[in-house]
Amino acid sequence: MTEALFNQMTAAPVANADEINELLRRYGVKFGIYKNGTFKEQLFPFDPIPRIITAEHFREIEKGLIQRVDALNMFLYDIYHEKNIIKDGIVPEDFVYISSGYLPQCEGITPPNKIYSHISGIDLVEGKDGEWYILEDNLRIPSGASYPLIAREFTRVASPKAFSQNNIVDNRNYAKLLKDTLDYSNCGGINAILTPGRYNAAYFEHSYLAEMTDSVLVQNDELFVEDNILYQKTYSGGKTKIGALYRRISDEYLDPLTFEPSSLIGIPNLMEAYRSGNVAVINAPGNGVADDKGIYYFVPKMISYYLGEKAILKNAPTYLPFYDEDKEYVLENIGKLVIKDVAEAGGYGVVFGSELSPEQLEAFRNTIINEPRRFIAQKVIDFCDLPIIDNGETVMRKADLRAFVLSGETTRVWASGLTRFSRNPDSFVVNSSQGGGFKDTWVLSR
Amino acid sequence: MKKVNYTFSTKLTFDNYVYNHSFALRCIPPECEVQHIISCQLDISPFVPTMQTVDAFGNNVTSGYLKSEHRFLDFEISGSAEINSAAERTDFMPCYAYQSKYTKPDDALRSFYAEHKPFCLSEDVFERTAYFSGKLSEVMKYEKNVTDTKTTAAEAFALKKGVCQDFTHIMLSILRMDCIPCRYIAGLACCDGETHSWLELWNGKSWIGYDPTNNCPVSDDYLILSQGRDFEDCAIDRGVMFGAYTKQLQLISSYLTLA
Repeated sequence: MTEALFNQMTAAPVANADEINELLRRYGVKFGIYKNGTFKEQLFPFDPIPRIITAEHFREIEKGLIQRVDALNMFLYDIYHEKNIIKDGIVPEDFVYISSGYLPQCEGITPPNKIYSHISGIDLVEGKDGEWYILEDNLRIPSGASYPLIAREFTRVASPKAFSQNNIVDNRNYAKLLKDTLDYSNCGGINAILTPGRYNAAYFEHSYLAEMTDSVLVQNDELFVEDNILYQKTYSGGKTKIGALYRRISDEYLDPLTFEPSSLIGIPNLMEAYRSGNVAVINAPGNGVADDKGIYYFVPKMISYYLGEKAILKNAPTYLPFYDEDKEYVLENIGKLVIKDVAEAGGYGVVFGSELSPEQLEAFRNTIINEPRRFIAQKVIDFCDLPIIDNGETVMRKADLRAFVLSGETTRVWASGLTRFSRNPDSFVVNSSQGGGFKDTWVLSR
Repeated sequence: MKKVNYTFSTKLTFDNYVYNHSFALRCIPPECEVQHIISCQLDISPFVPTMQTVDAFGNNVTSGYLKSEHRFLDFEISGSAEINSAAERTDFMPCYAYQSKYTKPDDALRSFYAEHKPFCLSEDVFERTAYFSGKLSEVMKYEKNVTDTKTTAAEAFALKKGVCQDFTHIMLSILRMDCIPCRYIAGLACCDGETHSWLELWNGKSWIGYDPTNNCPVSDDYLILSQGRDFEDCAIDRGVMFGAYTKQLQLISSYLTLA
């Protein structure tokens, strides 16, 4: 980050931040978390200092993200069909088939337009070297787009000057991008957003996006599959065909007749309707195999394999204990690395070697030796701190950026994103479920 | 090669009226190298329109939705088929090499495998299967009503008792530990009044059938209805319904006879 950019950011704190936080509270902009068995809703604190990304930087990020998501979609089609990338020895088969995101039930199914990841949430950080690094890909049901959207909306109300004094790309087109994406894969019928209900962490977002995209917000008890067509029951006792289902529930709960039989939030025979080409399921079931933390390591290789291009955006330096030479490196340098459990999400299962006692390190080494496939190890990236306001003072905190990439007729990057920061000065973990906050992300138009 | 006649029927009776009942049946035998289906008739009562698809594992799926209230659902398939168990099936899927929900081994299964592995000297996958199956049948007793459809390989092995589903799951677990890809088969067998299950192991080129419950190779007396990684992929009927009492009584009968 240049000094000029830092000055621009800290000069720009939007006025009336308290009012914006009050509006967020009043409109129920919350996320829910389960802790010790009870459900709690929390506010997601908004910080008035925006993150600013220059037009030039954004163009580079945009190119890199489009390239990455295109390669991920090609990988997914390949894995569920010919599997050439495995036959050609680029990705070892164990990484694919042991992944909990790989669903053999989806073998041979071709989603409309061969798109498996329609809405991708790609987490990046800006290194102190000025390069952007990919932290992880989130292809299953990435959430978070609604927070910067609504925060921007309130900022316009509470602090209108911010937008007349800065050349900021309007981010209100997210709804249009999302609607275009749903429409493009729609198999005939209405668009619907499937939510597990109001106790879900992202319920606010589900309802907000439904409203913004003219989709109906549905729960499973108002849906049924008849003649392999997905319908919504109407109040008058009729039925309406659904052509695209933007589902915000996990694969394993999606259809109790194909996946987890005990699921109470799924739709029986949805998979038969999907297999028959009568409904688009967005994002496509089984796409979690591509955002597996173990597969992450191979994404730059995928980009060169499918597109014949060099990856524009770098991965964080990653080691796979699955490979013997990497395992040795990890066991020796564990104190300097961050170790991630590939099966966990939301900032859980992330361990910093530097925070472990010698006994814990030894125990962890043994766990890695016994289950090498379960972990990846990464160098701790020294990423840029961003200024935030804490009790009236400007302090520096770790922050990342979740960029949203939408795949429809073309692949497009939303010129905004969710910047999350850690409120704890010593923490690198920025996930909202770990108590962080967020700020607006301004992409400059010039 | 043998020609057989088959019948399989299920009567589901509910304690009270149910409605919005979605079901998926995997009971129409697939046409494949080892079995040529000459005829197959499916009757479902009460009447309900159904759709046919083929799932990822190659199973014929019959799906339907009964919206109105009903107290029973009966279905029956019958027909004739020509069985040639010596023919080679070649429809491989990589997932069959990996443990699945029902087959994940626990320490007891792992140590059973480790105990017998050094004495299994053949490199032939079929002979290895026969060896492990022989060892399993020495410790495992066939007994009904001690396990159910939710019992995993590890749970049944702890009991040392179970039915064909349990024998098959335990053998799948052992073979996958031995790096032999294998799959679960649900079907009908001669002299069995219910459905039967057995396994197929992959020899690198084609599938070979083996019946761990009877500790013998599969012959022309076996008709395949469905296949998959374990019971969950193969369940002959799965359903979801609404009602105050959805408790159900299921009566199954099946016949496989020489034509």
